Amino acid sequence: MADLFEGIVMAEQRFHGEGYQEGYEEGSHAGMAEGRRHGALHGARMGSEIGSYLGFALTWHCLLQKCTDEKNSKRIRALDSLIGMIQKFPYEDPTYDKLQEDLEKIRGKFKQVCSMLNIQSDFRIGTERSSLTF
Amino acid sequence: MSWLQVAVSQSNEDIFDEDADEMYLLQKEWNSTMKKRLKEGYRDGIEAGKELALQKGFNQGYRHGAKLMITCGHFKGTLNALLSWCHFNRHDSALSTINNLLDVIGKHEEDVLKCLNSAEEQPHLGHILDSVQDMDLNHTAGTEYKEVKDGKHKKCGSCDDNICRKNGEVGSWQSECSKANLCTDPDKSTLAWVQKQTVWLVEQLGLSPDTLHHIQQLEH
Repeated sequence: MADLFEGIVMAEQRFHGEGYQEGYEEGSHAGMAEGRRHGALHGARMGSEIGSYLGFALTWHCLLQKCTDEKNSKRIRALDSLIGMIQKFPYEDPTYDKLQEDLEKIRGKFKQVCSMLNIQSDFRIGTERSSLTF
Repeated sequence: MSWLQVAVSQSNEDIFDEDADEMYLLQKEWNSTMKKRLKEGYRDGIEAGKELALQKGFNQGYRHGAKLMITCGHFKGTLNALLSWCHFNRHDSALSTINNLLDVIGKHEEDVLKCLNSAEEQPHLGHILDSVQDMDLNHTAGTEYKEVKDGKHKKCGSCDDNICRKNGEVGSWQSECSKANLCTDPDKSTLAWVQKQTVWLVEQLGLSPDTLHHIQQLEH
């Protein structure tokens, strides 16, 4: 009798396990697709923003090289610092625990650089026409 | 005389009638219990699988999206820097050119985003293959299906050209598939064109070789 009972329990477990296996596969595929889609959009937003800052900073760095007065060398130093921050920033790693914290620091530095250059920091970066607003 | 046979066979079974009924009921109960377990297991499995895969998928998608879009960002930032420089130095004629290039980049960025959104939705290979099998195709296709299913994780573009080619009906899926592949990699020539235009502009403005070099270094 005990054997029979054990047999029933085992069978129930086996059927549960079979269903679980099938469900697990389905769920994995669905979760993977959903996760990838969300992740791609978040990553794209980050890539676009960080890329903009870097392109902006590197270009201004080149443009300012000609004049070497006090005001400009201050600006160049600020640009150097911004470029350094961006290049150290693992923007493509969603598991980096200070991702948001460092991004905020970079944003702050970018604003500072813009004000030193007398440029409004929302100058075409993230215009209302773009679906990527920072 | 079939009615007689039926009557005889029924009377034969009569001896075990009580037991048979009970067995039948037990069997039925057993089946429904096991079906219930199967369903419960399936539900639990879906939840567990999804939960685990969501984060993994998010991380994968994030890396892909970030790497794909950083290039657009580089171009956007570079053009913005040039725009502000031209603004300060009163190169008004260059402003509209730069603005146009920025529009092209903005449009390209939107295209990449749209494609990222749809490409990640492409159905899983296993599901498509299951439906291919459901179509009851010829024998060769069946064996190929098995081969493909065994190597399930091969990349979508290359794996089942064979099936698609052999069976016209499935052709529409092939085009779906190649569309999805294209989408993760939208027209790179747009960026190359913007780069060319920017190089030309920088030469016209007589900017430093450094600046020119920076723009030539932009990857696309």
